Amino acid sequence: MRELKAKLFQDLSDAVVDMDEEKAVETSHQVIDEGIDAYEAIEKGLAHGMDRVGELFDQEEYFIPEVLICSDAMYAGVEVLKPHLKGDEQGEKKKVVIGVIEGDTHDIGKNLVKIMLETSGFDVFDLGRDIPPQQFVDKAKEVGAHIIGLSTLMTTTMDGMREVVRILEETNLREQFKVIVGGGPISQSFADKIGADGYAANAADAVRLARKLVS
Amino acid sequence: MSAYHRGEPVDRLPCVPIVGNTAARVVGAKVSQFRGNGKLLAHAHIEAYRLFQYDIIRIFTDLYTQAEAMGATVHYPEDETAYLEKPALASHGELDQLQPADPYRDGNLPHHLEAMKIAVDKVGKEVTVTGALTCPFTNASFLVGAEQLVRLMLRNPEAVHRLCEISLETNLRYAKAIIDAGCTPSLTDAMSSCTVISPRQFQEFSYPYLKRLIDYIHSRGKSVTLHICGKTNRIWERMVEAGADCISIDNDADLLEAKEKVGCQVRLMGNVKPSEVMLQGTGDDVRKAVLDCLSKAYDNPKGYIVASGCSLPTETPFRNIHAMLDTVRRVGYPVDPEKLERLSTG
Repeated sequence: MRELKAKLFQDLSDAVVDMDEEKAVETSHQVIDEGIDAYEAIEKGLAHGMDRVGELFDQEEYFIPEVLICSDAMYAGVEVLKPHLKGDEQGEKKKVVIGVIEGDTHDIGKNLVKIMLETSGFDVFDLGRDIPPQQFVDKAKEVGAHIIGLSTLMTTTMDGMREVVRILEETNLREQFKVIVGGGPISQSFADKIGADGYAANAADAVRLARKLVS
Repeated sequence: MSAYHRGEPVDRLPCVPIVGNTAARVVGAKVSQFRGNGKLLAHAHIEAYRLFQYDIIRIFTDLYTQAEAMGATVHYPEDETAYLEKPALASHGELDQLQPADPYRDGNLPHHLEAMKIAVDKVGKEVTVTGALTCPFTNASFLVGAEQLVRLMLRNPEAVHRLCEISLETNLRYAKAIIDAGCTPSLTDAMSSCTVISPRQFQEFSYPYLKRLIDYIHSRGKSVTLHICGKTNRIWERMVEAGADCISIDNDADLLEAKEKVGCQVRLMGNVKPSEVMLQGTGDDVRKAVLDCLSKAYDNPKGYIVASGCSLPTETPFRNIHAMLDTVRRVGYPVDPEKLERLSTG
């Protein structure tokens, strides 16, 4: 049994890295049929695979197209396993509200960060793109988020990031949420200037930053 | 610019702060007024050139003009750079509906052509006038959406090739119209960056179309500047092979490395940070950044143009654009490395 379990986890991990959605789904069904714990299968199988994908991305072996297709395989497996999770295992994840700020519709970067955060055990609330500053704050309050993640590729929308911080300060909520920013024109100095809690240069960085901020 | 190109005496290196919608600020216009108004667009770029005295005018409002002419929906905020609201197609299943654009009829292309023509007529004798052209692969991403396009690369490569082919057809027609207007196409290919796709994918999906486009422009006797954003060091050789005479590199790339790798084959242009330095920095930050670029690339065998790494943000302060030009003037030409050193430490 232990051997079978290890093999299935390895298969799940490989299916993600190999971009093999069918295999991810098939193996996930097998996991359930064998009565193996779904949570463990996600952790040690699918998420493990996505971690390897993140490494390959860091090493410039994989690029955005590969990461997206790998994540399709991961999510397809998660869909099969999810109904079999026991309630208590899903609780107490750190929550992140994420989106592309108003005035911009470039969302590949944001989607990448979302995928990486989810695989790293965060509960991600994705607002989408072209999102007004106030909406980030409202959603963060509503779900009790720990982190607000703001993304943009356009310099024209950078002021919207500043606006989010300003709204938080004005409504005395600044201490409740960590604000992290990223995207093409963003830099550490810009993050400092607007009073954000951190800047990440890429998706892997965003995960490290998020972990640091909530630890 | 042409004097430098011919190797004739010049008093400084060419300098191109890549002014885009900042031109609106020069004439006190709102960015959205450029839509459908070639005269105003030309006026703004001519005045911006007269104010800053740089060496290449680039008629540009946003990357989406050709995609819009092919059916994409572009959103025009009142006073900011336009952005893509909806790609031309909801899914690649609708590919058959797609037609190449007619540059004399569709979208804003006729107005951009008018602006180019006016600028060439008015100042074409003293400064190079170019028209921005978004390359096949990047334009294809605006036809089906960037995320769908990159997924298709792995799931349905044939569809990507068809999209690039039809993009190329629009590109070729537009390039022809730009050259017929007396102007030079200035190529931009944001999505071909290694920040997005792998060098292998570049080779398969972007390069063949880019090469055909550049071959056409060359056949009309024009040289080609190719800009790709983000990380590009692993595709510089390919950009050169595609035929680029000058490659414009972003601040994610290193001029020194570019000089060593491809400097014997191609002119370099770049790469002062558009956002961190030009938009948010002080005049002194700009001066330092320009000197740093110069020290890396002034002696590039095939020449060097001091430039921003990408189009300048609309609200870039005028003083920073002046600071860029002033620094290049102070350094003068030929560049004396000792003087450069002195200015950098002083």
